[in-house]
Amino acid sequence: MEASTEAARVPVRTNTWDRVRKYIGDYGLIALLLVMPVVYGIQDISDDGSLARLGNNFVDGLSNGAIWALVALGYTLVYGIIELINFAHGEVFMIGSLVSAGFFGTIGLTTATGTGGLVLGLLLTLVLAMLASGSLNVMIERVAYRPLRSAPKLAPLITAVGFSFILQNVGVLWIGGSPEGIPDLINAQKELFSIGGVSVSQGDVLAIAATIPLVFLLVGFISQSRLGKAMRATAQDPEAARLMGINVDTTISATFLLGGLMAGAAGLIYALYQTTIWFFQGFQAGLIAFTAAVMGGIGNLWGAVLGGFIIGIIQQISDNRIGGEWTPAIVFAYLVLIMVFRPQGLLGEETREAG
Amino acid sequence: MMAVAVEQRPEGKLKTDPRTLAALAVALVVTLWMASEIEMSIFMAIVLWAIIAVRTIFHENELVNRLTVVAFVVWAIALPFFHDEGAGFIEDATLALAYAVMALGLNIIVGFAGLLDLGYVAFYALGALTAGWFMSGFFVNAGGGEGVSLFVGEPASTLPGIHFNFLIVLIIAVCVTTIAGMLIGLPTLRLRGDYIAIVTLAFGEIVGRIVINGDQIIIGGEKLTNGRQGITPIDKIDLPFLEPFKSLDLRPWYFVALGLVVLVLFVNYRLRDSRLGRAWIALREDEVAAASMGVPLVKTKLLAYGTGAAFGGLSGVFLGSYLNTVNADQFQFSFSIFVLAMVILGGLGSIEGVMLGAVVLTFINFNFIPDVFNDYPSKIGLDFDLTELSFGIFGFLLVIMMVLRPEGLIPERRRKLELKEGIGVGDTELGTTETMFEAKA
Amino acid sequence: MTDTGAGTAPPVGDGQDGALLSARNVSKIFGGLVAVEDVTFEIPERSIVSIIGPNGAGKTTFFNMLTGLYKPSYGSISFAGRNITGRRPDRIMKDGMARTFQNIRLFGTMSAVENVMVGQHSRMGAGLFGSILRVPRVGREERAVTEKAHEVLSYVGIREEHHDTLSVNLSYGEQRRLEIARALASDPKLLLLDEPTAGMNPQESAELTDFMHKVRDERGLTILLIEHDMQVVMGVSERITVLDHGLKIAEGTPEQVRENPRVIEAYLGKQGAAEAEAGAAKRAQPGQPGQGSDGET
Repeated sequence: MEASTEAARVPVRTNTWDRVRKYIGDYGLIALLLVMPVVYGIQDISDDGSLARLGNNFVDGLSNGAIWALVALGYTLVYGIIELINFAHGEVFMIGSLVSAGFFGTIGLTTATGTGGLVLGLLLTLVLAMLASGSLNVMIERVAYRPLRSAPKLAPLITAVGFSFILQNVGVLWIGGSPEGIPDLINAQKELFSIGGVSVSQGDVLAIAATIPLVFLLVGFISQSRLGKAMRATAQDPEAARLMGINVDTTISATFLLGGLMAGAAGLIYALYQTTIWFFQGFQAGLIAFTAAVMGGIGNLWGAVLGGFIIGIIQQISDNRIGGEWTPAIVFAYLVLIMVFRPQGLLGEETREAG
Repeated sequence: MMAVAVEQRPEGKLKTDPRTLAALAVALVVTLWMASEIEMSIFMAIVLWAIIAVRTIFHENELVNRLTVVAFVVWAIALPFFHDEGAGFIEDATLALAYAVMALGLNIIVGFAGLLDLGYVAFYALGALTAGWFMSGFFVNAGGGEGVSLFVGEPASTLPGIHFNFLIVLIIAVCVTTIAGMLIGLPTLRLRGDYIAIVTLAFGEIVGRIVINGDQIIIGGEKLTNGRQGITPIDKIDLPFLEPFKSLDLRPWYFVALGLVVLVLFVNYRLRDSRLGRAWIALREDEVAAASMGVPLVKTKLLAYGTGAAFGGLSGVFLGSYLNTVNADQFQFSFSIFVLAMVILGGLGSIEGVMLGAVVLTFINFNFIPDVFNDYPSKIGLDFDLTELSFGIFGFLLVIMMVLRPEGLIPERRRKLELKEGIGVGDTELGTTETMFEAKA
Repeated sequence: MTDTGAGTAPPVGDGQDGALLSARNVSKIFGGLVAVEDVTFEIPERSIVSIIGPNGAGKTTFFNMLTGLYKPSYGSISFAGRNITGRRPDRIMKDGMARTFQNIRLFGTMSAVENVMVGQHSRMGAGLFGSILRVPRVGREERAVTEKAHEVLSYVGIREEHHDTLSVNLSYGEQRRLEIARALASDPKLLLLDEPTAGMNPQESAELTDFMHKVRDERGLTILLIEHDMQVVMGVSERITVLDHGLKIAEGTPEQVRENPRVIEAYLGKQGAAEAEAGAAKRAQPGQPGQGSDGET
């Protein structure tokens, strides 16, 4: 009675638009990412005869990208575990920068400080900035997100925006409404070495050298430690995690803490690298870093890092070639394109739904 | 049936319990205080309070409800005549009305259809830009340097640039913004709620950037926008059979804004109780169930975006002319949040609430904080300028609202349930895999 | 006496008018998981047909493919002579297939009437401008649709006082009825009910069974049912299809299915199947009062 006919198992045809989307999703995004480097690379070769300018774009892009990668990690961690965009995360990063800058003054770090003192001072600042941002992030979760966990997604998003504004105002009160220069402690622009015309500055090295270990520490922590496992379990299925005895609330707080720590570090690196801080830097950084997180694959840690570097490069090329005033528009255009054609990002999502 | 209701009027139909009466008394005091602070005619303030009081006390009575609505409209029309022509209060009130139009537009997108749009400023920008293009001397080369005009009187018809009649520009702006709304909505169709927020935000920023940098874009020999400087001056509104408006006499402006509000309210009320309105709410509650009941998701969502955007265009043109300038400072992300806050404060989906929210926030932002509250810190011995905190205060307001009263001041009757009991929550969290409907059922 | 018509199975496959719905070799694969495997299934017109199976058998997944919520990985589905494989749910609904949900999915903050009016969305023509201007045609349509909504609500047995109640404030039984009313409002040809008696007591289930007959007879509907309540299934179905682990393992009249050892095994496991057989043998002995025959109510 139950034997079905031996008809061939014909896969269901998808409609044309879906197929186009999938195709573009698979290859188009990569192509889009390559467009600018390739085009400008060719232009460089014909103009200058070398790829040095593009190379410089890449180096600067990677350094900026390192900062975005750290911030993006915060976004991706939080989204992975509670499927919420922490809108105030950019401001957490900004506060990290402000705290760092403030601390320089407090402990008397100036351009005149000797290397030993500088290193020590910076390490202290790093710890402080990370803690400040980390605890800020945890506090935001407790106040803005936890009470609204059962509310529709609109509610925590609005409170997050509200917090973002409050923190921006804190920034204004602290350092005023205009960008403020800070001492160039590490002599960020000084060229350390150069390869084939591509100049690598001290700031570039710092940015990369500081970020890579942090990323590895974070990834290692999450994959090895108990807390990390708890985080991953909660991200997969909070109910099951709860039943296994995992304290979901604490785990979520810890996730925010980690994200905040990364943002704080990013804040310090940014301050040293850019030698300017601004109350509005968080808003822009936030959107850029979020784009990076989505590009890499939201919820995916390595994706955030990869996305950060890629966006950094795009941003640099755009700043250098098209004009800094257009860069945000270009980055956001990429964001929209990713969302349309490949919302799971380059490395794929790792959130509850995809899991 | 109404006559019967009036005649019977059993005791329970009147809300004359002590609590209500006390609340009304407090409301009167507050109204009087506020009226004096914002330079509103005390008499009109009392009349307004009276209308609200009557409506509250006779709250179930159909006839009274309708009468109070009429009374309210009459009051709104009479309002400017109880103030000077150039009164600051009327200036703010006109602004409030213009913002109310936008809030009502956003209400359709976020409140009715449940699509989280954080980039509404884009529609304002496009509307204002349309005014900048077609109601100013921006396109100096139009008509061979002689200017192109359509149904405008002196002096605009003699000046270079394109000078179309306000009403025509309104129509153009509606077309532009409706299409823009649909284009912006298109990428969001298959996305989850918070992703829709981000994409719309991104579009808002993109449009803003284009406005700022538009002086670098040359199309047909003309710049697209005037970059950082903005486009100014913008023609005053010039309605048929009337003199062009002046900047000193605010009354005509007020009436035009009021007219727009009435128009937009009309559209809102009609749509809410229609097939489309029900489809939007079904969409908001449960996308999957709505689709299974025959609601075409794509079309319905696009209609929400388009309609909501159109209102932004209307208001944008008006404001362009009213404020006499179109520049990028007006088009920042914080504006999108400002309008969203009006909708949330008033009550998502609640037409009356959103109107109230718009009025309240406009006055708080442009009147209370700069003028009224600014004195307070010094009165208690602190030395700072409250306007510096306006951002933070605003953010604080958002947080408080969502934590304490997410359903808003005048909740849409439905919304109170939705937010308090978590209905319609999470049901529509669809992934973005093969089809729209791969719900983990 | 089997008053409910159970025991007389209409011909499977091509009846006089051909099958209303026909699914061929339909499969659904989620990532690595095969939820439904190679199921072929037909529903004759004006019949009441059930799909049963243990939890996780793939019944709701199959349902969702029929209604367009999922796209089949393989196979084809046709309805009323048209190929509807992978079509959008609102299109399929428009063609005449309506459904209810396992977990009630009403529009909670709309009243009962409004819910039913949404159900008629595909039968209405009012567009954006027509609604704004309230042209006479639209006004008439609104009135007609409202009236019909009230009528359908009464038809399913919801009291008039409750028609304007917010659906979330209705009792559980009324909510279930409302879901059905919403599905019926569009005059569908095929009504799919996903576990309609979940949470109902035996009396309510009996009422629902009668209702299904009434609806089929009076409105010429065809009904496809997913059910767990065996009494209801046996009592109302003309034919039953059994799924287990995504495969179709049996199909036939209620008696055939009930006696089918594979079915028994699927539900009860091998041990349970043996026990059931022993029990059945015992029941076959005379002198057992009150057992009745098929699960009639």
